[in-house]
Amino acid sequence: MSTYLLRRIWQMIPTLAGVMLLVFFLFNVFGGDPAAILAGKVASKEKIDAIREQLGLNAPIWVQLWIFVKQVFTFDFGASWSTNEAVSAIILQKAPVSLTVMLQVWLLDAIVAVTLAVAVAYKRGSFTDRAVMGICTAAMSISLLLYVVVGQWLLAYKLEWFPVLGWSDDFWTNVSTYAPLPILLLLFVSIAPSLRLYRSFVVEETGQDYARTARAKGASEHRVMFVHVLRNAAVPIVTNLALALPGLFVGSFLIEMVFSIPGLGKEIVNAVQRSDFPVIKAITVYLAMFAMAVNLLVDVLYKRLDPRVELK
Amino acid sequence: MTQQQASYGFWRAAGKRLWADKLARFCMAVLVVYFLVAGAAGMGWVAKDWNEEVGVSYANPSFLGDDYPNPQGKNSIISQDVLVIDEKQKAVDPLAPYYEEIEKNAAAYEKAEVKPSWTLLLGGDKWGRDVLDKVIKAGQVSISIGLASALLAVFIGTVLGALGGYFGGKLGDLLEWFYNIFTSVPYILLVLAFAAVFGKGVSTVILVLGFVGWTGTYRLIRAEYIKQRGRDYVMAANAIGASHGRKMFVHILPNVSHLILVQLSQLVVDFIKAEVILSFLGLGVPTDSVSWGIMINEVMPELVLGKWWQLATVAVVMSTFVVSFGLFTDLLRDALDPKASRR
Amino acid sequence: MTTENLLEIKNLRVTFRLGKNERFEALQGVNYVIPKNSVVALVGESGSGKSVSAMAIMDLLPRANTEIPADSGMVFEGTDLLKQTEKQRRDLCGKHISMIFQDPMTSLNPVYRVGDQIVEVLRLHKPLSKNEAKKRAVELLREVGIPDPETRINSYPHEMSGGQQQRVMIAMAIACEPKLLIADEPTTALDVTIQKQIIELLMKLKQSHGMSVLFITHDLELVREIADHVVVMHRGVIKEQGPAESVFTAPKDPYTRALLACRPTIDKRPIRLPIVEDFLQGREHELPQGERSRGVSPADPIILQVNNLKKTFRVKQGLFSHKEVAAVKDVSFKLARGKTLGIVGESGSGKTTLGKTILRLNSCEGGEVIYNNKNLMGLSDREFQPYKRQLQIIFQNPYASLNPRFTVGDILLEPMRVHGIHDTDKDRADHAIQLLRRVGLDEKAFHKYPHEFSGGQRQRISIARCLSMKPEILVCDESVSALDVSVQAQVLNLLQELQDEYGMSYLFISHDLSVVKYISDEVLVMHHGEMVEYANSDELYREPKHAYTQKLLAAIPGR
Repeated sequence: MSTYLLRRIWQMIPTLAGVMLLVFFLFNVFGGDPAAILAGKVASKEKIDAIREQLGLNAPIWVQLWIFVKQVFTFDFGASWSTNEAVSAIILQKAPVSLTVMLQVWLLDAIVAVTLAVAVAYKRGSFTDRAVMGICTAAMSISLLLYVVVGQWLLAYKLEWFPVLGWSDDFWTNVSTYAPLPILLLLFVSIAPSLRLYRSFVVEETGQDYARTARAKGASEHRVMFVHVLRNAAVPIVTNLALALPGLFVGSFLIEMVFSIPGLGKEIVNAVQRSDFPVIKAITVYLAMFAMAVNLLVDVLYKRLDPRVELK
Repeated sequence: MTQQQASYGFWRAAGKRLWADKLARFCMAVLVVYFLVAGAAGMGWVAKDWNEEVGVSYANPSFLGDDYPNPQGKNSIISQDVLVIDEKQKAVDPLAPYYEEIEKNAAAYEKAEVKPSWTLLLGGDKWGRDVLDKVIKAGQVSISIGLASALLAVFIGTVLGALGGYFGGKLGDLLEWFYNIFTSVPYILLVLAFAAVFGKGVSTVILVLGFVGWTGTYRLIRAEYIKQRGRDYVMAANAIGASHGRKMFVHILPNVSHLILVQLSQLVVDFIKAEVILSFLGLGVPTDSVSWGIMINEVMPELVLGKWWQLATVAVVMSTFVVSFGLFTDLLRDALDPKASRR
Repeated sequence: MTTENLLEIKNLRVTFRLGKNERFEALQGVNYVIPKNSVVALVGESGSGKSVSAMAIMDLLPRANTEIPADSGMVFEGTDLLKQTEKQRRDLCGKHISMIFQDPMTSLNPVYRVGDQIVEVLRLHKPLSKNEAKKRAVELLREVGIPDPETRINSYPHEMSGGQQQRVMIAMAIACEPKLLIADEPTTALDVTIQKQIIELLMKLKQSHGMSVLFITHDLELVREIADHVVVMHRGVIKEQGPAESVFTAPKDPYTRALLACRPTIDKRPIRLPIVEDFLQGREHELPQGERSRGVSPADPIILQVNNLKKTFRVKQGLFSHKEVAAVKDVSFKLARGKTLGIVGESGSGKTTLGKTILRLNSCEGGEVIYNNKNLMGLSDREFQPYKRQLQIIFQNPYASLNPRFTVGDILLEPMRVHGIHDTDKDRADHAIQLLRRVGLDEKAFHKYPHEFSGGQRQRISIARCLSMKPEILVCDESVSALDVSVQAQVLNLLQELQDEYGMSYLFISHDLSVVKYISDEVLVMHHGEMVEYANSDELYREPKHAYTQKLLAAIPGR
């Protein structure tokens, strides 16, 4: 096990190096001179000069790369080009806001989608199954944007069931007042594809030989489904849920924009609009690191769920 | 030689299966209409003047009539009292001798300008543009972006996936490294990072979506090539003495082509949705152009004013297209891959 | 033995709804009985409906599209199962009737320990506490011959070998002392030595537990010694049934006679194998008499010589290191022109790897293959290219070895194009059609796709593809193993005719000792990558020298 972990961490190094190279080339080489980008966005010439100095733009490219690598490992990307706040402070401040919304979405989605998936897979081939699948296809096809725009207008503006937008500093106010509508709308969008996917996992397993064996043993259809099939279908389902974790930190940037939720997603969109490169660079690199850690976690989890998997 | 027997190859059999499905035929009909209209818009045959001010601001849709309560509509207009100039005034007005000339000039000018209409077929937007024309033009832009970026992504994904899956080894490792890099950053963040650097514009959106979105196709095609590479028919081709190129493209490619087609179809839908969101956030198509995303971006303040028709139009038009395309993709998958279809 | 019947199947009809207007009648009125404490063998080829009847007894057929008419009857100890509720029938399963399946690997739930899977069936039907059930599970594992059952009870299925997995399945099946055990091809996925052990175990348990066994198989010979009663099925109807002795010694139905005759046996080697048509069309007395003599003498010219061939695979191990695993170790033989060398071994013996390595479909880690005074292993890819047409291969799975997107015409023309045989496609097509006729296919096949053909026909297409290059050496890698016995005989006959006609040399790789005996002049026995014995086939079968060969031969069913 520890050999395995060691090897996996060893294997992550090239990937991480690759992500850093990608980000470096994207922003420092293709991104061009901050002076040109920031013309009109940042007033003072001194500040631009300071940025050039900080990035080492006057030095050869490998020095610039070295500066970038140092930034990554010292968690110091300097200050945002537009707000002058420290980038690390921005991330630490915004990430929990996104999580307040997204963790709930993640949990509710898992509960609802898995329950429904098992239910329709149980009744596979029936009218209910086909109807639910049809609705899912249609629901999946409609853009998230329409749900958000129409949902906000109808449920908040017209019916006044929820506040139209906003966010407060108090966690419980957020959870009870501002978060429910965004969560509801995100669930509308996320459940359909999850449901379809999980159903296919469950249905795949119901056709396996061991399910037939369980029936031949005299297990009831319920038992076959919940003890035998679901336990096997859990392997891909849990994997899928874990892999969705890194995305949670970005939150749904669309929903954060529309509902003015000051999370990481909104921060990213603003940064992109203002060409605030340090913020984007930092978030991209750290999320990639996090995603790699989650991947490792998934593999270890996989071993716990599926005894056939050998960690070599 | 023998005469052609009624023998169905894979594609004809799949086509027959697809055609036998009423829903598939309906979806295809809808899609054909959209593609024809988008094509016509692309050629400039329709919706050429989408950017012209042809109606009053927020012109009502025709079916509501022009007396629908509209703050800027006809019945709420502050009546413009026409100033009647009598002889007495003429006498004191120093401009009086030039009236005729002024009126003539004004008439000439007025002829050149189209009188904005009070109603338009599906209503007008804030600047009095025809929503119908706009939605057609926007459809052309969104659909072409979806198609072009999907083609690009599928092309990259297929070529890399085929190379990585077929050859494996060092080349395969290199491509896997590439894949790992691209997938360790959440997709949408990567799109935004690219968009931040490359700026706005239709071609940028296509390139960004294409260059970021190839990973799924790569994964699928690579896995498929690895699977097919070990199959006996490839082994037999190898025993015959077929070259690598022949094995890759003549033997294996036709056996995965149905997956590529399904993938393409799926990505068109995904990328249209992505474009809509990017444009909505102001990171996609520039605002002097139009797309479905830009239209939705405009409707938020309109809704507050009670001007729902632009939203309704774009929602119906876009959803019809995307739902038809999504259903079509599913049915296509079922027809092409009956074994893997939903049981 | 009592005369009382345990299960009576009366006029059983099973119809599957396939599409809107499509129906398939899998069983067309089947009658048989299973007496108490007896072994009934249900024999038939694929599509005969033998498994369907077992699944019907267990109520395992998909309810949604299965129809069993009301006049069918399935009477188990006096009650008609078809009149019972779904729940009643399910309760019967595992308790009074239990079943084991063909593939034990997939039939066991991969995520639960084998002990827990046995405990489950015990606790479903008996009021046992967890501990009691666990104790009983250990006893059961010991009874089915799993060594060290106290530890093995905590193993997962994938940690066991195929034979052990099937033993676990059997332990699960007998856990609640059922009155009837249904065994559906229980040994087909296993090696012959394991097959023998499993059958012996089943018979022992049948005696000690006093149960009846319904043994379903495609292989008549397999049940010759164990069955009390044999039922022969073909396409949903029973062709013949009766006491085992009379079915084997005096079969009444021509189909039964065909099944018995067309399977090669190790004591006879007819000039041509009889095929089912010979019997059904009443030509069984016209079959050529006499036997073919086989063997290689030192005077025969050698076409291929293999010296000390080695093949290893690299397996990752630890942080950075690799482990070399030998699949073929030091194999040497000589193949005589126009003769057949049989290569036998169980799964994992390296016999298939050996065949592929000789054809350079694998890399090779040592040794030489001499053909035409050239070491083929030492050539570059470019230099080897012209030799490819001389060495061809026919694979095991007729469904996978033909490109599904090519027409038969494309499949046959491709090798001729690659090797520049004939100048125009017209000539090539004419040649292809000749070949199709030669292997016994209609010329209409030229424009069809592989999926339109049966397994046997596809193997004929594969053979035609090889013939298009006029190879000197043909590797047959389990080429008839996936085919039904009746089809197997036809393909074997075709291969023999072609050898007589074209003088090709065969490397015939198979796990089936009877088939190898029938077709081979020489035999090479492989075990764990090593060649353990190599001799003329008559000699090897008469007096095997190596202990492993002796063990293999002893395990041949019906011997």
